[in-house]
Amino acid sequence: MSADDHRGIDAGAIYLPRFRLSTDTITEAWGLSHASGIDRTAVPSADEDAVTMAIAAAERVLEQTSVDRGTIETVAFATTSPPLEEDASSGRLVRALDLPADCETASFTGSTIAGASALSRALDSCGPSLVVTADCPVGRLADDDHRLGAGAAAFLVVDDAAVPVVSTGWHADERPGVRYRRAGSRTVENLGVTNYERAAVTETVGTAVKNLEVDLESVSAVAFHQPDGGIPYRISRELSVDSDVVSHGTVVDRIGDAGAATVPIGLLLALGETDGQTSAAFFGSGSAAAFLFEGSLSVHGLDDLEEGVDLSYAQYLRERGHVVSGEVAGGGANVSVPNWQRSLDQRYRLVAGRCSDCGALSLPPEGACQSCHARDGFDLVELERTGEVEAVTVIGQGGSPPEFTEQQQRAGSYAAAIVTLTDGEETVRLPAQITDTDPQSVDVGDTVHATVRRIYEQEGVPRYGVKFVPLD
Amino acid sequence: MRDAYIIGAGQSAFGSFPDETYLSLFEDAFDTAVASVDGELAPEQIDEAYLGTLGVGGRQIGLSGPAVTEHLGLHGLPTTRVENACAAGGYALRSAVTAVRSGMADLALAGGYEIMTDTSADQTKWWLGVSGETEWERLSGTTFAGVYAQMASAHMDEYDTTIEDLSRVAVKNHANGAQNPKAHLGFECSLEDAINAPAVADPLNLYHCCPTTDGASAVLVASEELARKLSDHRIRVAGAGAASGRVGVYQRDSLTGIPASKTAAQRAYEDAGIGPDEIDFAEVHDCFAIAELVAYEDLGFCEPGEAGRLLREGITDPDGQLPVNTSGGLKSKGHPIGATGTGQAVEVFDQLRGEAYVQVDSPTVGLAHNVGGSGGGVTVHVFEREGGAA
Repeated sequence: MSADDHRGIDAGAIYLPRFRLSTDTITEAWGLSHASGIDRTAVPSADEDAVTMAIAAAERVLEQTSVDRGTIETVAFATTSPPLEEDASSGRLVRALDLPADCETASFTGSTIAGASALSRALDSCGPSLVVTADCPVGRLADDDHRLGAGAAAFLVVDDAAVPVVSTGWHADERPGVRYRRAGSRTVENLGVTNYERAAVTETVGTAVKNLEVDLESVSAVAFHQPDGGIPYRISRELSVDSDVVSHGTVVDRIGDAGAATVPIGLLLALGETDGQTSAAFFGSGSAAAFLFEGSLSVHGLDDLEEGVDLSYAQYLRERGHVVSGEVAGGGANVSVPNWQRSLDQRYRLVAGRCSDCGALSLPPEGACQSCHARDGFDLVELERTGEVEAVTVIGQGGSPPEFTEQQQRAGSYAAAIVTLTDGEETVRLPAQITDTDPQSVDVGDTVHATVRRIYEQEGVPRYGVKFVPLD
Repeated sequence: MRDAYIIGAGQSAFGSFPDETYLSLFEDAFDTAVASVDGELAPEQIDEAYLGTLGVGGRQIGLSGPAVTEHLGLHGLPTTRVENACAAGGYALRSAVTAVRSGMADLALAGGYEIMTDTSADQTKWWLGVSGETEWERLSGTTFAGVYAQMASAHMDEYDTTIEDLSRVAVKNHANGAQNPKAHLGFECSLEDAINAPAVADPLNLYHCCPTTDGASAVLVASEELARKLSDHRIRVAGAGAASGRVGVYQRDSLTGIPASKTAAQRAYEDAGIGPDEIDFAEVHDCFAIAELVAYEDLGFCEPGEAGRLLREGITDPDGQLPVNTSGGLKSKGHPIGATGTGQAVEVFDQLRGEAYVQVDSPTVGLAHNVGGSGGGVTVHVFEREGGAA
């Protein structure tokens, strides 16, 4: 990276799932909490994971920037909680976000420092680059899990950016046992050697920050590694940074420890609400990385930090899949993975067909026109992502196809609708679930907006596609 | 083209018979149909067989039709298995009628069978709704209850149809089925019960949904010449209509009607040379309560949006102007998928012979309406008793 090209962040957005678990609720359930300095954590819905949150945050950043998504040259994705341990999701992001198929992709995982790696990858690249960090780590329910949250942050990195990076500093060391996840486990752990772990974090982060070319007294905000509400302030005390400056970039109190995404979310809060210089410092696996930025941004999604729907502890356990009976055995109808793959443009981008003969829309754009029944071929068009509910039902326990049994066990009844979508004057219908709302509240005539969620999982392969969220 | 006549029809009891097989249930239906023939029928006289089944549970996905006729000792009989989901039976009947009308067969067997209640809860989940549009409709999380519930939501929104209207279908059909010893759910229900039943797929509740049922049914379709020899009654297939539609509801022009039902009905009426006004009674495909309301409108019994009124005014009660589902319908008699279409023909046959459990007063023209899935395939048959009522 050359400092001359003023490469840095030009747009940013965060996305938080709508559910919150308050520390009071945890205390009520467990008799105590291990969520120091955390008021509540963000909780993904049953149909969300790191990939869907990444898509949501990236979609927000792409919607607000003037940079065309067709010009993106690099996509860097970071998470410690990939839906599959092997099967990196950057290609899925390219497909779901309609990014150029020839863009460079990179996925970083295995450490909370992955967020810094992704950012660094984009800063080192040429051309418009998309950085997405999304995470929803899981811990032992009795303790670590109390402080773990979820969320996503996406950045557009370009030359001559609104917020150029002016300095970077790294520090690598071996500090085993601070945060790790065993092979085959979905649960992050730490040894709980408190003073050793605190020192590991404060020393390595402190060293990385000191490697920045900066007078720390002039920094207006910092987003430091924040696995709980105390650590960022401990780091800042070592560096003599004022606690007000730390609070500008601290979000763990409101969203919990969102793994590789916490510091990026904190950074965007700082860039959105303060001016001047902002430092972000990541930690993971003994290593630390610090960045110094100059300037401010209009950040989409910051309202998510203050909003949310509170869950009971039982709802939390269900929604996160801690208590489900598992896959339904049986036979019958099945959509093969190759057939699913063939329909991705429809499921992600709402690509319909405009009949070459009569001009009416068909979805999916295959076979004869749904209107004039001619088989003259289709011109592909991407439909508006906002549509209207034309028919709706609420599927209760037992009323779902087996593919949705786990979803129903986790999230309860759901609304299945027929949504009318448009391209110009023409309309076409699509059956889809309405998510992120009380299913009973969905009515014919409601306006809804497309989002990408987990539809179901079969044979260990998650399948993603479109659902709709009500617009207020 | 020559005429086709129904000379015999019968069904097994519909219900839950986990100890039976599709072979044994069809044997019962076949024997009942043969016994209903007035004259002496030798089974070897049958030229063709068309047997409908979806094959729920996957028990004999290939060649179950020949397995059935061989089981019956109809050795060597050309047998075609028909699959058009819940309209398999209706299409089997259509094929038998076509075979006789064309002159290829003098006597054709149409029938259907399904065993649905012997599979595990998990297996049943997989099989229910296999005839919905799979890639999009099912994978938006719906089975048929959900799809018909969506249609209900649109109908309620457009025509102010109410839960009470839907519930009247259950009350009427259960009252009829309670008098039918071969009905699966042969009990009555009150309007209050039907309104307050547990939700299945909002706005549809348990009483707005038919059961999963085991059963078989058989119909013997003969040429005029053979019918004159073997039958004291002249029950003619006056009209045969059928139509296909998009398998997914979302792909159709209308969410408040079934276009294939309208087309099939028009074709049947045209074939019979009559209009809906001349129908004395009907068996319609009430897999869900909304389906019966929509059927009234699609079959031309009333204008769109008027179906609720027909129920409220008792027009489709057994003593009304146009009795519908005197057998109990799918709701009460039951819905053994492949057996339903020919099961409807059994009721029409019994009515026209004056032998039904809930007998309509002196009918001469009856209609049977069989819908596959949510309307991907529909048959409508009009039957006429020649020479006046029994």
